[in-house]
Amino acid sequence: MNSQDFVYGDGEVVTASFEKDGETIRVTVGEKQFELRPVGTNLYATTINGARSHLAVVKSKGVYYIDFDSVLLEVKEPSELGVAGGAGDHGAEKDKIYAPMPGKVVKILVAEGDRVDVKQPMVIVEAMKMENQVNAKAKGTVRAVNFAEGDQVDTESPIIELDLEEQ
Amino acid sequence: MVKMEKLFNKIMVANRSEIAIRVMNACRVLGIPSVAVYSDADVNSKHRLYADEAVYIGASPPRESYLDMSKIIDAARETGCDAIHPGYGFLAENPRFAQLCADAGIVFIGPTAEAIRLLGNKVESRIKMAEAHVPLIPGMKSTNDDIALFRRAADEAGYPVMIKAAAGGGGKGMRIVHDAKDLEPSIEAARREAKNAFDDDTVYLEKYIVNPRHIEFQILADQHGKTVHVFERECSIQRRHQKIVEETPSVALDDAMRAKMGSDAVKVAQAAGYTNAGTVEFLFDESGHYYFLEMNTRIQVEHPVTELVTGTDLVVEQIRIAAGLPLSEALSHLTQRGHAIECRIYAEDGENDFFPSTGTIVHYSEPVGPGIRVDSGIMAGSDITIDYDPIMAKLIVHAPDREMAIRKMIDALNEYKILGVKTSKKFMIDVLKHPAFAAGKTFTSFIETNMANRQTDLESFKEIAVAAATAASLSSSSTTAAPGGGRSASATPWQVMGSWQIGDGIHE
Repeated sequence: MNSQDFVYGDGEVVTASFEKDGETIRVTVGEKQFELRPVGTNLYATTINGARSHLAVVKSKGVYYIDFDSVLLEVKEPSELGVAGGAGDHGAEKDKIYAPMPGKVVKILVAEGDRVDVKQPMVIVEAMKMENQVNAKAKGTVRAVNFAEGDQVDTESPIIELDLEEQ
Repeated sequence: MVKMEKLFNKIMVANRSEIAIRVMNACRVLGIPSVAVYSDADVNSKHRLYADEAVYIGASPPRESYLDMSKIIDAARETGCDAIHPGYGFLAENPRFAQLCADAGIVFIGPTAEAIRLLGNKVESRIKMAEAHVPLIPGMKSTNDDIALFRRAADEAGYPVMIKAAAGGGGKGMRIVHDAKDLEPSIEAARREAKNAFDDDTVYLEKYIVNPRHIEFQILADQHGKTVHVFERECSIQRRHQKIVEETPSVALDDAMRAKMGSDAVKVAQAAGYTNAGTVEFLFDESGHYYFLEMNTRIQVEHPVTELVTGTDLVVEQIRIAAGLPLSEALSHLTQRGHAIECRIYAEDGENDFFPSTGTIVHYSEPVGPGIRVDSGIMAGSDITIDYDPIMAKLIVHAPDREMAIRKMIDALNEYKILGVKTSKKFMIDVLKHPAFAAGKTFTSFIETNMANRQTDLESFKEIAVAAATAASLSSSSTTAAPGGGRSASATPWQVMGSWQIGDGIHE
């Protein structure tokens, strides 16, 4: 048995042991064992609890993209740890409000010095022709508003920054 | 085979992605060459490669390409097109564009500019339909910027009320207001969205019908005064007021109700002087009353479900009508055979409030089998950008009955593999598996009622995800592609499309 480390979710390192038997790949992860048989480019068949599933997996730029029974999953290689992520990777930063995707600021709903509550609407960003409202993730006071209405924003520069209230 | 008369010399398809390809397919079966238009973002797009010819029309922002009327008409002239099909979205419901085509001596495959203008104005069309005795939702009969007028109309109709864009569609510029204090900010937001989406910030207000179904009727009308309906589609499963799952027949209609609504739909089209294909939308409430919502003056995203149960080709009919042919006798004697369901495949995160998702498609493979149809605008390597609407493809299934159609759809969604951007496949499977869906309790509130607390526990997929990554890491280190099934992820457009071509192929 060989083994290899992967990174799942918020950075958990998970070890897989595996062996190849002809085309079939047997993988053990923790308590669970899987048999995957290739059925096409990037496609594998596997049977879990008696039910057969097709899964698709492909690696691109250090990320494994997976569709298992329509659940979309991502696994990274350990070397990819610490690489700056794109949109949606700011989950832990409750004091900064980011655009969910690149777009245009159509309305700033708070001003510097405003006290804001959890889930309070902060800014409306338009992308893909839809208005997306971004809400506060924590209680606090607005420290800075870095963009104005009409500005283009990406997902890496905080639109609004908060001084969080002590919990 | 009898050689059919060619209806047009060449058709320009003034659109992109899946609907452009769908229209080109109709051109092919009629033996008419098609011409694509494309922007910078679509240089390598499937629709560009699919057409017999393609013309570059400008930068990625729609205003500089797909919405630029003079560029499109010039391109049609230069390539010798005598007709333009607008698809849906972009210029499809723009009366000025229809008029410009007419002025340039090019046939616009759709209704007249006047019919588009009338039906595109929700306020004017309400007045017209009231005269034709079609049932309407109570609400404003005129509109202006006076907030007091909105307040009065809201008080008369009773809350909740709905703010809608007069030029609207697709959920843009639309707001539900439950409380008088929210009225003004909602009007403001709806106006902003309407201005951006339609370049017209006129909004109006009507009573919000609680827990309705969305049922619409497909209409075909020729230029010789004949109008027929091609039955209903139920499109009640919506998120952010946009349809994601559509089906036909509707479980809510019996034959008597179907005939009554169908005949009202025909009345709507006739009152508007409508020609070509169109869709009359109704809200259908819990007590079996229905109200005219609007008429969409274009081919609809969800048209394939109608095609599968009736054996028609609605885009072919559009082209025939535009060429001046009368509706065939057979269209008056259609029946609904079996059940069809469509799922829209948007680039959006079904696990995160349907936020739009962007990226490159790193794997693409379609489901195959009897009664499975994929209308797709993407392939492996396609970039999904923020420039355009996030619809990538539509998956449509047809089966002898609803129960089988639901199972077939779940299976087909699971076999439809698109990697690199998020989709709502899992979300739609959970909708289809829900007992309320099976029971036909499909109301426009379905998602908030039944799916609000839905979550996929990603932790429970940790092991299979890592096992899949292991398999991929093993196969990528080998030099040969994985053996087995014939559905290749890296299929070129030519493999996807098959080998046939009309005319001289691509010459740009």
